[in-house]
Amino acid sequence: MKWMPTCKDATELASRALDERLPLSSRMALRLHLAICDNCARFNLQLQEMRRLFRLETAADDDAPGLAPEARQRIASELQKKLGS
Amino acid sequence: MNTLDAHTWLTDHGDYLFRVARRQLHSDELAEDAVQETLLAALSAQTRYTGDASPRTWLTGILKHKIVDLIRRKVREVEIPRDAEGEEAIDSLFQRDGHWTEPPRPWGNPQTEAELGQLRRVLDECADRLKPVMAQVFSLREVAGMETEEICKELGITPTNCWVLLHRARVFMRQCLELNGFSKAGAA
Repeated sequence: MKWMPTCKDATELASRALDERLPLSSRMALRLHLAICDNCARFNLQLQEMRRLFRLETAADDDAPGLAPEARQRIASELQKKLGS
Repeated sequence: MNTLDAHTWLTDHGDYLFRVARRQLHSDELAEDAVQETLLAALSAQTRYTGDASPRTWLTGILKHKIVDLIRRKVREVEIPRDAEGEEAIDSLFQRDGHWTEPPRPWGNPQTEAELGQLRRVLDECADRLKPVMAQVFSLREVAGMETEEICKELGITPTNCWVLLHRARVFMRQCLELNGFSKAGAA
């Protein structure tokens, strides 16, 4: 990689950094790019925000639709079968 | 014993388990399968339930395994997208020299219950629109919080494939949120 990654490269690095520890050279390159590029810095923050929202919101017992009555009925009868066996 | 009655589990925790499963499987049908398999497995294993954890926590633990099982089965049926696919979507965001064509816009800061509810719906809708394998990998990573290495192993795909899928999914999700009003100019 060149000493300064392009925005496209930087977004890939920012994403990868969420999954694993980047090699030192990539880490430095990313940090340098984010320090001078508002767009990529914003992209990076938004990825982190998205992760936070997912972990936070999806843990909640919210108003998303639950089991449909027919689905509930199907499961209940499978349980009954097993209980009866 | 009443607390371990399978029908009570279904009544008390069915909706909760379904929502958790639905979020990760992006399909009503698969989510129903996951709930059913979880309750059947719980029924077989109920002598091992010690009561240390609440029934919901115990059931959710079983559900997580069932979800991974179902995703693993599903991923085997679906071809992992070739490299070119999805690449175009990312290419269109950047100029030839690697600069943004359409830079990310600032996001709003949802605070009220109504705003958060709206955001939740948009998150779900966007995740449902991801391509199947991408959606599964994304869910395992961002919703279930599994380590990338673990995901690759579970799904039998290479680490490179894995993080390419994750990157594309994130780029898509970010853009989808922005297009659906999650930028400052929009409602959220």
